[in-house]
Amino acid sequence: MAGTIIGEGITIEGELSSDEDVVVRGHVRGKLNAKEGVVVEAGATVEADVSGGTMTIAGSITGNVSSNDRVDLQTGAKLVGNVKAARITIADGAQFKGSVDMDV
Amino acid sequence: MSTSIDKSTFVRGHLRGNGDITFAGRIEGDIAIDGELVIEASGLVGASVNATTVIARGAVRGDITATESITLENGARVVGNVRAPRITIEEGALVRGYVETGTSTGSKPAARATATAREAVPARVVASAPAPKVAPKAAPVPVPVMVPAKKAAPAKAVGRAPAPVVPALKKGAKAKRR
Repeated sequence: MAGTIIGEGITIEGELSSDEDVVVRGHVRGKLNAKEGVVVEAGATVEADVSGGTMTIAGSITGNVSSNDRVDLQTGAKLVGNVKAARITIADGAQFKGSVDMDV
Repeated sequence: MSTSIDKSTFVRGHLRGNGDITFAGRIEGDIAIDGELVIEASGLVGASVNATTVIARGAVRGDITATESITLENGARVVGNVRAPRITIEEGALVRGYVETGTSTGSKPAARATATAREAVPARVVASAPAPKVAPKAAPVPVPVMVPAKKAAPAKAVGRAPAPVVPALKKGAKAKRR
């Protein structure tokens, strides 16, 4: 039960910061910072720069993504923005436009 | 689809949409949703709240308006107005503000609120007391101005016309013209 869940019909406009996980099923516009993982589910839209731990993306993100762990773009995901992460996977069927910086 | 904002989450911005929300974090902007909003004991809302149903156990600094009902439970601390067709204020809830039950056009607001906790009803009673005192004072004020008509006419002219013009007319020019 730990963590924040933004449900399907909900829109948050502004900055969202959390010390725990964030699961987005609705819409976030602004900024999203989580100390733990971020999951953007299918159908969710995030128009924000996202930073946090593990990112699992199946929805749409327009903004830069910065993770201190790994970023997984699943089938159906759409990411327009730059990614900064130590590890990244992009599944077949995911859409991505942006640069990738893996701290090499 | 339900939303839950946990204790360690801080939102600087507003929250909109349809669905139920269980809010245990902090928000600096307002919440306006179509659904049930539960503000948990650790919840802090810094602006107004608008929902279908509101159940508050935490702190709200802003107005709470609901289209169906508002329940302020033990632990609720509200500084702001509370408006809904049905309001329940339980033992231990704290409210400082105007509490109004019924629809916005409804009458008899105080009679229907079931309050068992401290409530700001006395504040309304005090506010209305000075009003009748002001009215009778206002009535006699115009009367002494109107009765001594001859003396008052130049005084009225002073009020209406620009100051440099009036003293010249005041001495009798107006009386002759009339």
